[in-house]
Amino acid sequence: MSIPWSQTLRALASGTAALLLASCGGHAGSSNHDILITAAKPDRLFVIDAGSRSITHEYRIPGADGWLGGIVLSPDGRIAYVLVNHMESIAGIELSSGKQVFRADLSAPGERVKCLFAFDVSPDGKELVVYENPTQLKADEYVVEEPRFAVFATNAGLEAKAARTYPAPRRVHMILSKQDGKSFYALGFELYEYAFGDGKLLEQRGIRSWDHPGHSIPDLLAVWPVTEGTGEFVTPIYSNATVPGGPAGGVPTTSLMTLDLKNGALTYQDFEPTAALIFSAVGSPVRKEAFGVYSALTKVDTAQGKLAKRVNLDHTYYAVNLSTDGSEVYIGGAMCDVGFYDAITLEKKGNLRLPGCPDQALATLRVIHHP
Amino acid sequence: MKHLLLRCLVLLGPAFALPALAAPPDPSAVRAHCSGCHRESSPGHFDRISDMRKTPEGWEMTLFRMHQVHGVVLDDDARTQVLRYLTSVGGLAPAEAAPARFALERRPNVQDLSLGDEMGVMCGRCHSLARAALQRRDAPEWLKLAHTHVGQWPTLEYQQSGRDRFWWESATKELPAKLAALYPLDTPAWRKWSAGTHASPVGRWLVWGHAPGRGDYHGTAVIAARGTDGYSATYTLTYADGTALNGTSKSVVYTGYEWRGSATLGQDDVREVYALSEDGARLSGRWFVNGHAEVGGDWHAARAEGAPAVFAVLPRALRAGAATEVVVVGRGLGTSPAFGAGVTASAVKALPDGLHATLAVAADAAPGVRPVTAGGARNADAAVVYAKIDRVVIEPQYGIARVGGGKVAPVIGQFEAVGYIDAAGKPGGIALGPLPASWSVAPHDEQAKAAEDVKFTGTMDASGKFLPAVAGPDPQRPFSGNNVGDLAVIGTVKDGDRSVSGKAHLVVTVQRWNTPPIY
Ligand code: HEC
Ligand code: HEC
Repeated sequence: MSIPWSQTLRALASGTAALLLASCGGHAGSSNHDILITAAKPDRLFVIDAGSRSITHEYRIPGADGWLGGIVLSPDGRIAYVLVNHMESIAGIELSSGKQVFRADLSAPGERVKCLFAFDVSPDGKELVVYENPTQLKADEYVVEEPRFAVFATNAGLEAKAARTYPAPRRVHMILSKQDGKSFYALGFELYEYAFGDGKLLEQRGIRSWDHPGHSIPDLLAVWPVTEGTGEFVTPIYSNATVPGGPAGGVPTTSLMTLDLKNGALTYQDFEPTAALIFSAVGSPVRKEAFGVYSALTKVDTAQGKLAKRVNLDHTYYAVNLSTDGSEVYIGGAMCDVGFYDAITLEKKGNLRLPGCPDQALATLRVIHHP
Repeated sequence: MKHLLLRCLVLLGPAFALPALAAPPDPSAVRAHCSGCHRESSPGHFDRISDMRKTPEGWEMTLFRMHQVHGVVLDDDARTQVLRYLTSVGGLAPAEAAPARFALERRPNVQDLSLGDEMGVMCGRCHSLARAALQRRDAPEWLKLAHTHVGQWPTLEYQQSGRDRFWWESATKELPAKLAALYPLDTPAWRKWSAGTHASPVGRWLVWGHAPGRGDYHGTAVIAARGTDGYSATYTLTYADGTALNGTSKSVVYTGYEWRGSATLGQDDVREVYALSEDGARLSGRWFVNGHAEVGGDWHAARAEGAPAVFAVLPRALRAGAATEVVVVGRGLGTSPAFGAGVTASAVKALPDGLHATLAVAADAAPGVRPVTAGGARNADAAVVYAKIDRVVIEPQYGIARVGGGKVAPVIGQFEAVGYIDAAGKPGGIALGPLPASWSVAPHDEQAKAAEDVKFTGTMDASGKFLPAVAGPDPQRPFSGNNVGDLAVIGTVKDGDRSVSGKAHLVVTVQRWNTPPIY
């Protein structure tokens, strides 16, 4: 699967541009009461009131060492678990106080452990399952060890040690807890399902071996586990589709993969010959539609399986989320602002520039609904 | 005792076969600075360090890495001693390094080695395959290198062209054996080379070469011993247009043949990456400007003493019906060089590195390769006579330049127009070498036209040198884009009343933030 490279470079290049262009602060334009959570380098965690487009809290995450990535929220919305310290630590920050209430430093003397983006909290909020990639650091040699899942109790405090570990496949990039709390999904070469309790592999299906006739092995790399609005995980997935009379290698095609965390249903839906890169996507809680983001904001009509609308953005964004009522699209990541767009027209409604213009990089943009 | 031995050797062979004054490799610096982590498991055998062989640049990269990642600090003296030791006990034989010397010489726009699709994507997507081809290890050490990669860059398996395959399985189960078969630790070539004595570069040399965008040059070099195993050189060179290209150099010869010099040449501070041939008769390679490795020149040198020999004619291409001033670089050339029927030499003048002559080429002189004879020596294809240029090929056909900005210098794109004549039995025709040309750029395709790449990406000068613009964001471009783009480069050569053009593709792309000695 190849993405038009010069196009990507142009897009990336234009991305940096925005760093220099001061964007205006937003104004209150919505009556919604969503709280947004995002993070930015080197160590900042932001709590944002979506309705007034304003920052209510800005916290410093201890020991981030200049790097942060994915954000997972406790089910009650009280704690944000943030991957920090070059993927070697997870910090649980209480959102009301900014206090660090949980800390798992994954590495130990002689063993460097990186979590490659994949971790999630159990639906009861009591456990955190973390995908670990350990490397043994010998005096004159690195020995890469097999990856593993490590389960931590969320009440284990600031020196949390794994309560149990079990073997994991290589190259997993996302973990998503199933809503019944009995198992979790790991996305990698395949979609794996593991029992929370003993780490037994329950099922393995559909990514490299996807059941999508006429399509090549797909390309999927998602590190934004956004499911809070719908209980469904939606992500772009790329492949070459054989078209009658079409080119020999097939036509580069963008599809949406949807995994329902309530019942495990897995579907694929083509929606366009690849015309734009999409980094991450989110499904709507109120309409049959999904939104994807990168250098453009894309709306997909999931009832019909077709592109509904696309607008160019003034720079690239990696992360996308949706208001609880489905009326507003939030975009973040990559740079230092959060954008607010109308979900129907894709018109820009507002923009919040984070103070000091810090880099949100791969941070997940999260939504907490407060009625 | 030692002196006596030296004197004997001097008497035994021609002057240039004098072995370099290399002391036996001394492991004490490695013992002092490395054995804390790399156990000396048997005398002189340091774990890992003694299990691989590399070029001087390869070892330099290791030392850089030991410093950057593992905090190993070496002062200049220790560094020199460590490098001398490593390159003498763990170097590559000349024949082993030969296929990938282009990477050491930092030649711009060369095709990387081709080791098949799988190896290309597995190992050639981040750096050149030359980097691997310039090392020798057994399978267990190639395996350890895979561990080093993923241990150090854990996202490797997640990147594009990494995640579409079982990278780790392939890198740990299949590739170590394949790499060890291609590039094994123990080879006859290395055994022979490391056991032999090696020629010293000391002496007088005849020099010729070509600097793209600047032209041919020639002259002499004098190399003298400096300290225990270093050399100093003095260059008396001129470009074809008469401009002096004089200079001096300080160098070290590693592994008995790898000349690495730090020189001034004309206005520039340059690095020299040359190889002394196994018999010590030639010194060849490339020099390049510090900080601008893409700018430099080919370098050829042959001993000034020896039997008569014709090395090169500058310029190589002789136009029928015209008079051409040429320099013949060679030894013992006498005063009557011959270029075959229809070519008459006059005003022959001796030069320190050969001779200068005016050649009258008859209008009906037969086109084709010409043997050149002088002083009893013959070079079978030193010159070419042509009546009409049949084709012009722009080299490189596909070039890369990079925008500059901040602390990163732009990477220049240098193009040359190489003329060809058609010839029976020669499918590719006969190359006339780089010819003077006029230069222009145009959009490479519709997208480049729409984005006005010509306007934003840089400028082409009269010598075929493309100077890229400063990196974006450029507010004048859509989306404040970077000043990258796709250009067509057109070079036009005058051939009497006609002109012949060729076209190449130039990609102006983003900066490269690190410049390792081996890409
Ligand atoms: C503080 C400990 C330490 C010291 C001192 C040290 N090294 Fe290393 N070296 C390592 C480690 C750890 C590795 C494995 C990881 C890596 O390759 O970076 C390594 C790997 C290597 C390798 C294998 C790399 C490859 O190409 O696969 C070489 C060769 C090496 N070191 C050479 C040296 C030399 C020469 C010195 C002395 C100048 C030195 N090291 C000093 C820790 C050290
Ligand atoms: C993800 C990019 C990537 C891939 C894929 C990759 N390399 Fe590398 N390689 C690197 C980097 C980065 C370095 C370190 C350069 C440095 O030390 O400055 C390196 C260093 C090396 C070195 C020099 C090591 C030393 O210390 O002497 C060799 C040899 C090498 N790679 C071979 C390979 C081989 C063989 C493969 C395929 C199995 C491969 N590489 C795949 C990125 C990559």
